[in-house]
Amino acid sequence: MEDAREALLVLDGLTKAFGDFVAVRDVRLDIRESEFFTLVGPSGSGKTTMIRMLVGMEQPTSGEIRLNGRVLNQVPANRRPTCMVFQDLALFPHKSVGENIEFPLKIAGVAPRVRRERASALLRQLRLPVDYYDKGVNQCSGGERQRIALARALAFDPQILFFDEPLAALDFRLRKTLEKELKDIHRETGKTFVYITHSLEEAMVMSDRIGIMKNGGLVQIGTPHEIYNRPVNKFVAQFMGEVNTLEVEAAGAHAVREVQGEGTFEVRDMPEHFTRGFLIIRPEVMKLGPAAAGAANTVSGRLFNDYALGSRVQYQVRSAGGAQWLVERLQDDPFEGASDGEVTLGWRPEDSILVSE
Amino acid sequence: MYRNSLNRRNFLQQTGLWAAAAAAGGLPTLANAAREKELNIYCWEGYNSDDVLDPFRREFDAKVRAEGLTSDPDAVNRLRAGETAVWDLINVNNPWAREMMYPEGLIRPLPRERFEPMFENMMPAFHPPYPWAMDKSGEELLGMTQRFGPFNFVVNTDKISKATAEDEGFNVFLDSGMQGKYGVLTYDNWNIYHMCVTAGVHPFKAHTPEEIEAFTVACKQIFNGAKILTDDLVQMNLALINGEIDAYFTGGTYTASSARYDGATQVRGITPKSGPMDGKGGIVWIELTSVVNNPEVSPLAEEFLAYIQRPDISKLVAFAEGTYNPVSQMGDPAVMGQFDADELDAIQWDSLEEEMANSADYDINPDYAEMYEIYSAAKREREA
Amino acid sequence: MSGRPAASERAAPTGVRRWWRRPGPLCAFPVSLFLLAGFAGPLVIVLAYSFMPPRTFSLRQAPTLENFASVISDSYYLSFFWSLFLATTAVLILFLVCYPIAYGMAKLFGRWANLVTALVALPLLISENIRLFGWVLVLLKNGILDGTLQQLFGVSVSGLLYTVPAIVLGLVYVYLPFMLFPLVIGISMVPESLKEAAADLGASRFEIFREVELPLSMPGIMIGGILSFILALGSLAESKILGGQTVIMIADDIESAFTFAQNWPKGSVLSVLLIALSGLIVVMLFRNIDLDRIIGRR
Repeated sequence: MEDAREALLVLDGLTKAFGDFVAVRDVRLDIRESEFFTLVGPSGSGKTTMIRMLVGMEQPTSGEIRLNGRVLNQVPANRRPTCMVFQDLALFPHKSVGENIEFPLKIAGVAPRVRRERASALLRQLRLPVDYYDKGVNQCSGGERQRIALARALAFDPQILFFDEPLAALDFRLRKTLEKELKDIHRETGKTFVYITHSLEEAMVMSDRIGIMKNGGLVQIGTPHEIYNRPVNKFVAQFMGEVNTLEVEAAGAHAVREVQGEGTFEVRDMPEHFTRGFLIIRPEVMKLGPAAAGAANTVSGRLFNDYALGSRVQYQVRSAGGAQWLVERLQDDPFEGASDGEVTLGWRPEDSILVSE
Repeated sequence: MYRNSLNRRNFLQQTGLWAAAAAAGGLPTLANAAREKELNIYCWEGYNSDDVLDPFRREFDAKVRAEGLTSDPDAVNRLRAGETAVWDLINVNNPWAREMMYPEGLIRPLPRERFEPMFENMMPAFHPPYPWAMDKSGEELLGMTQRFGPFNFVVNTDKISKATAEDEGFNVFLDSGMQGKYGVLTYDNWNIYHMCVTAGVHPFKAHTPEEIEAFTVACKQIFNGAKILTDDLVQMNLALINGEIDAYFTGGTYTASSARYDGATQVRGITPKSGPMDGKGGIVWIELTSVVNNPEVSPLAEEFLAYIQRPDISKLVAFAEGTYNPVSQMGDPAVMGQFDADELDAIQWDSLEEEMANSADYDINPDYAEMYEIYSAAKREREA
Repeated sequence: MSGRPAASERAAPTGVRRWWRRPGPLCAFPVSLFLLAGFAGPLVIVLAYSFMPPRTFSLRQAPTLENFASVISDSYYLSFFWSLFLATTAVLILFLVCYPIAYGMAKLFGRWANLVTALVALPLLISENIRLFGWVLVLLKNGILDGTLQQLFGVSVSGLLYTVPAIVLGLVYVYLPFMLFPLVIGISMVPESLKEAAADLGASRFEIFREVELPLSMPGIMIGGILSFILALGSLAESKILGGQTVIMIADDIESAFTFAQNWPKGSVLSVLLIALSGLIVVMLFRNIDLDRIIGRR
């Protein structure tokens, strides 16, 4: 259900060049009210430059940033109704936890008593002890510091809250916990969150929509489901994790031929005007051994390695044509066949993903 | 006053010894032996110029170290602080040797038979026995004279004529028209003497309370009317030439000669015609070079004293860098022959004899300490 | 609770162990000795002299408070006042002058900062008196400034030299590097991201300065301020050369007491009081400003 009004934040042909180097190229993007939007891309993809333009620390070379229809390009950072949680958090070391959280309120001229109340409320909301108010920020743990930074940003009451990979430096378990907390806080506050990260996995956990960036441009925008199931190209598909990628050419209305001679495979959906491209099959949809019998597409090869991946096991198969295949099965449903033996791989046509590039 | 216990006195003695040891330890120690070829001189600028020292270094194949001093009391302080172990020769103004340094054991006497005859060739005022070169008993010869000069005040003769200045003496500075038009060169010891003279008080005698009071009044008046205080004679001459001031309090040949030699002959040291010192209104200083009571004194010390009496060296001492001064050796025609007309004009040779006649010798002021308190308070409390 | 006695038992032998067998104090011993002799020693001697009878040159006298009494009853408070006033004024002006320059050197000038550093540091190679005398030539009646203005505009500015402002100018000029360089370090210690965060949270340029830059560069400001304040407090040449001793600073009195007055004990008392005053001010400043907190160690 599309709203007739313009979205909350509109990026219209946003471009940023540093000399000859174009860091962000002609980005068009609508971010909706109350949405958790994540920009994902490898380092150097332009996502940091992008968010710095959005908060006002860099000026776009061309294009427009509109918030509620108002062009923000020339508005300095301190005049924008948005704010950001920094990658290094940028907590003020000379101020206490409470003073850090109150900072935007102090700048806004809120009375000390009122802002203290607000800071205490934010401490509670972020599950921090209220007696942390007078604690030094450098005496707090990594997770606590994250929450303080978030509380400070929330105290600003921004129309959009930006996040510049604030969880990147944390260990795995703490990151997982905070990802979920962040999602909870997003739901509780109903604010618009724009998050950038290099981890699609992190994006998947939290986001309503994801934008994938590559070389300064947006490659695909969609829900986590769409991104996962319908990647628009090999880059997006591979960015999701390890996948089987075959270079193919069209061989009929519902068939493609692997160019190295691995065989011809049936597909369900053929993009229009498809002549040549890539066939992508996720390892977890592959069948192995007897399970592959009767599948529409099969390949035979030699199983030469297996890896335990926590909840799953990954098998590596080298086919007769020389290609390497990945198959993943759940840990409690392992493949019973002999290792280093001849095996058959198979998959359904509807599990095939075809992309042109 | 000594009501303290013996223990406490012992403690203090220990402290003193320790302090002296610490002080001595911080100084450069010289090798005990082999002092035949080295000489350390602590002197007013002039004697330490390379023009003077280099020929001596060559002739005696000696390593000569000379350090210039900037005030007599400073120099004597350093000897008191233990530097008698460093220096071989000390050059300060006339009263210090006889009144302080010799009684305190800081200098040693010279062999009279070698050095006394050298006074014969000097200007008549210095003929032996010259009292300032002798100890109080008149038995020991304590040093050799050389540079000297009348030292009273300096005027710009374009603004105040020599005749007026000499007639009025220090009263020039009390004139209401001179307020804010003169500087005080802060050679503090000299100022105290001249402020005595200004007050009509003999500076080198014990003073009555009334005289001290007159001195106090003069002190305040001189400071309150001054435009500039500085201890830099170049800066003072510059102010005089540039018209910031018309005269400065305390000065003489020593301070005026360099400006005069540069062509500013309107800068002139003045010796008042009359005053409270047995009728005299001017004061003259005489530098005396003495051998330090160094336990390892260099044998070159006496050689250097003889060396600087030579005519060419005397001239170099008189016209060293910075200031130009007459020397007592100018009584010798061979020395006089070294000076040209401009040089003689720089040191005001034309009036030197007359100025000397109108001057009393620089001496010790028995009430110096008390007067200094008054003087420094007047300087601090100055209403500028 | 059994851990407590055990811990103290363990601690006991360490405390009793001879200090010269422990590596720390042993290594520090030569330096301590050097500091004691070279730094504490002279101070102790000055302190000892302050209790000696007036105009004595030996420490072997009965101690007395006479000098303290005479200094306090005399008008030395004037010199202390002038020194404090001039040093404070100079430090405030130095801060105002140096902060923008230091900011530029730390953040804006890039490679030109090295040139500025060289230009500021170079005069330090020249004697202070000579540099001050240069200013005399500039400010003198019919001097460089006065003469130029007369020539070009027919305006005369002859009353500049030998005034209190001239002394302040001298102090600011001479002690500029001592304020500037610590400030440069202080300002470059402030992370850019903190300033960006403050701006992002709505702070204006001035609010960023007040809330972030100023407090975080406080270590540099403190060091620069204390350095230049202490130096200015003990300064002498500026009031003599540029001020024409319009006012007498305390260092001037100290010098006179040791030389012309031949009164070492009085000079010592004045020195002791000046050192105590400087120390008191430094201690008070450090007590009120918690550097550890600023640097973020607490």
